[in-house]
Amino acid sequence: MVEQFQIAAEAVGAIVKRFTTLTDAAGYVTSAVGVTTVAAPNLPPAVRRVLPNLTLAAPADFAAADAGISVARAGIAATGSLLLELSDPTDRSATALPPVHLVFLDATTIVPTLANLAGLLEENLYRPSPVYLSLTTGPSRTADIERVLTIGVHGPKELHILMMEGDASWTRD
Amino acid sequence: MDKGLIQQKLDNTFLRRALKNFAAAYPVARAKAFEGMDFEELRGRIANFKGAGLEQLPALVERFTASAEKAGAQVHLCTTPEVANRTILEIIRSKNADFLVKSKAMTSEEIELNHYLEKNGVSCLETDLGEWIIQLAGERPSHMVMPAIHKNKEEVAELFSRETGRECPPDIPSLVQTAREALRSGFLAGQVGMSGANVAMADSGTLGIITNEGNGRLVTTLPRTHIALVGVEKIVPSLSDALDIIEILPKNATGQKITSYVSFIKGPTGGDGRELHIVLLDNGRLQLAADPAFREALKCVKCGACANVCPIYELVGGHVFGHIYVGGIGLVLTPFFHGFDKAEEILKLCIGCRKCNEVCAARIDIEGLIVDLRDKIRKPFGQKFLFGTLMKNRKLFHAALRTAYLAQKPFQGAGGRIRHLPLVLNRETANRSLPPIAEKPFRDLVETGTGKGTGTGEKVLFYSGCLADFVYPEMCQDTVTSLEKLGYTVTFPQEQTCCGIPARYSGEMEVARDMARINTDVLLEEDADYVVTICPTCTMSLKHDFGKLLADEPVYVEKARRLAAKTFNFSELAARKAGAGSLGPETRGRSKTQDAARSTVTYHDACHLKRGCGVHEEPRKVLRELAGVEIAEMEECDKCCGFGGSYSIKYPEISQEVLKNKLENIEATGAHMVAVDCPGCKLQIEGGLEAAGSAVTVEHSATLVARRIAEVKVELET
Repeated sequence: MVEQFQIAAEAVGAIVKRFTTLTDAAGYVTSAVGVTTVAAPNLPPAVRRVLPNLTLAAPADFAAADAGISVARAGIAATGSLLLELSDPTDRSATALPPVHLVFLDATTIVPTLANLAGLLEENLYRPSPVYLSLTTGPSRTADIERVLTIGVHGPKELHILMMEGDASWTRD
Repeated sequence: MDKGLIQQKLDNTFLRRALKNFAAAYPVARAKAFEGMDFEELRGRIANFKGAGLEQLPALVERFTASAEKAGAQVHLCTTPEVANRTILEIIRSKNADFLVKSKAMTSEEIELNHYLEKNGVSCLETDLGEWIIQLAGERPSHMVMPAIHKNKEEVAELFSRETGRECPPDIPSLVQTAREALRSGFLAGQVGMSGANVAMADSGTLGIITNEGNGRLVTTLPRTHIALVGVEKIVPSLSDALDIIEILPKNATGQKITSYVSFIKGPTGGDGRELHIVLLDNGRLQLAADPAFREALKCVKCGACANVCPIYELVGGHVFGHIYVGGIGLVLTPFFHGFDKAEEILKLCIGCRKCNEVCAARIDIEGLIVDLRDKIRKPFGQKFLFGTLMKNRKLFHAALRTAYLAQKPFQGAGGRIRHLPLVLNRETANRSLPPIAEKPFRDLVETGTGKGTGTGEKVLFYSGCLADFVYPEMCQDTVTSLEKLGYTVTFPQEQTCCGIPARYSGEMEVARDMARINTDVLLEEDADYVVTICPTCTMSLKHDFGKLLADEPVYVEKARRLAAKTFNFSELAARKAGAGSLGPETRGRSKTQDAARSTVTYHDACHLKRGCGVHEEPRKVLRELAGVEIAEMEECDKCCGFGGSYSIKYPEISQEVLKNKLENIEATGAHMVAVDCPGCKLQIEGGLEAAGSAVTVEHSATLVARRIAEVKVELET
């Protein structure tokens, strides 16, 4: 299923990297992607610990940040989609305004199809409180001019999926 | 319809190329997106829950409202565009705002919101790239999913240069970058944001929004007030229903497995005084949902697939083929949302090929609804004599056709075909010659020939249809010859008359009902095993329309059902007896008199046979196993030839362009003959080939089978 997810996500222009430890993933973020200022309002403490040198942008400056960082709640293998919980508006800005979006994904949360996600979606949407969920698949795209596919119109131009195949219990902290 | 506008679109080479390229790319992308999925099962589910939901739409609206309000949203049910516009203006004013930043919402186009708000001092910014382009151009969308498909990059560059005050080169990636930069400030400055919704869930009060660009997330996030303008028909009972729509919509719309962003929004999130206003738009929907004849139209999920596959949309685009909503379903929704006066002309633009029905995400009988709507809006005028007096009286109608044989004589050229009609009718024969009406119709030949029903085989009543009877009597004779050789006993009932389709398509339902009654009685009088037709439009009429037309008459409902059960198209019945030696033990293998070139044909699927009757494998079996020919398949073999009955006379300029495409596909196969199962397709394609000076001929399958029988006979005798 991990392979299927990777193929589907790459087919729509996402970059998928597989890691067994958070330290390796952190190395990728700083060296390969080369970000220094990030929009990451709800970064799990474990990530913060391995990326101590990142500068966290204030919400008003998200548009100028190098990248947004978020943690997916689940993945869909058939389409390479990520389920993000974005009820906090700053999470929405962080994943929409910067040119790059980095997402941590626990490989064990990948389900085969959208229909398999119904239970998790219901769990969230049937709660009494307001909620904002998003399925994100690949970078922002448009084909509105002459039907030519062009990446990065309003949202991120790059989507990096950091697939965690080792212990990823920290993603739920 | 404004003929000048149609011609202008037909002459627009960019538009034509863009739509043609899309029409070619779309089926491939769509098929890939649905790979491994059961499309019929999925759309069957959607048709069911949407259908059930529409039957109790007011209750569904109440449930959604209660759920959404419980989550903290404010719901406003607005009956008319005026009320919706005013409600939105008041929300904006209550925030002391004068600027609305928008993501795509067809409902906003429907109520002409921008125009209303600008008039009242609120400026609007469309942020969907396509919508922004047409906002700058001051136009309306020409496609529901790709609003600016009619604009080329040079036009876009000019619009952007004017808007930004700096020179924008016609380079697509840089134009997209320009839009990103130019619209960013709009998102950040927006006090109130607006979106539509693709689906609304009654169980949780959640909105589902499907987008690609990312503007949807921005307009629902950066402004502290979010207004969602949603048609009430978008409400579905539950989340699982919504997931079906999310599953099917992107695949059917653009051939994407899923779009970049699908948002589920329940209530205003983030606290801090944020507000979510859901403006539910009625605008005739609740009344339409209560109308059993037309409520089906509201099952539409607005994927635009009906436009994507429409051969007429492909030629003229959405500014002709539709009003605000375009494509097949646009034709259907326009009278209900925008008034019958807006719909009368555009409803005539459908050629009736039913391609849209094949791909509709909610399995709506779009073509059927268009035909029914023509009846609803019909205005009595000149067609009264034709349909009211002439066609209702079979003897008078047939006498008129006989007279026409004499009247056409001055216009016949060498070989008897008609190449030029006088004056106003001349356009009709510009790119297509017409066959003459035969001196003796088939019904007169029966008196002296075969088809008199002597024999002991299963009994077939032959229903020829007017075109074959009066223009192609030899095609009828070939049908009888073939069926008799296959062991059937064939009779031609003299009292049969027109199947009523021309009347039905012109909105003359009363006449069509009369025809249905007469033919039902005639064809059930004798206790035959089968009724066989050689015109798929007649087959469709006998099999499907009679029952529908006579639904209020219990005696005829039963009769129509019996008739439908035993009505078959020629190829369908002949295929049952196909196989080696089925024309006698001597017909195994290829005929000695057929050389390789002559024995390869290409096959054109008639719209009403494939999509009206679901028959497409049988004719190929008949051609291979009974007519002894090979088939070289053409591109888009099931795409309309442009005939559409009287359509080719009402809109010859469109019909001929559709035909041109068909002729190109035929020529590309290198086959010397086109086989068809429809006299209308034969008339159209043969006329086009002849006018173009092509040597390719067109024959009905029955003729090819009869020819094979004759060849075999010669071989046995020599």
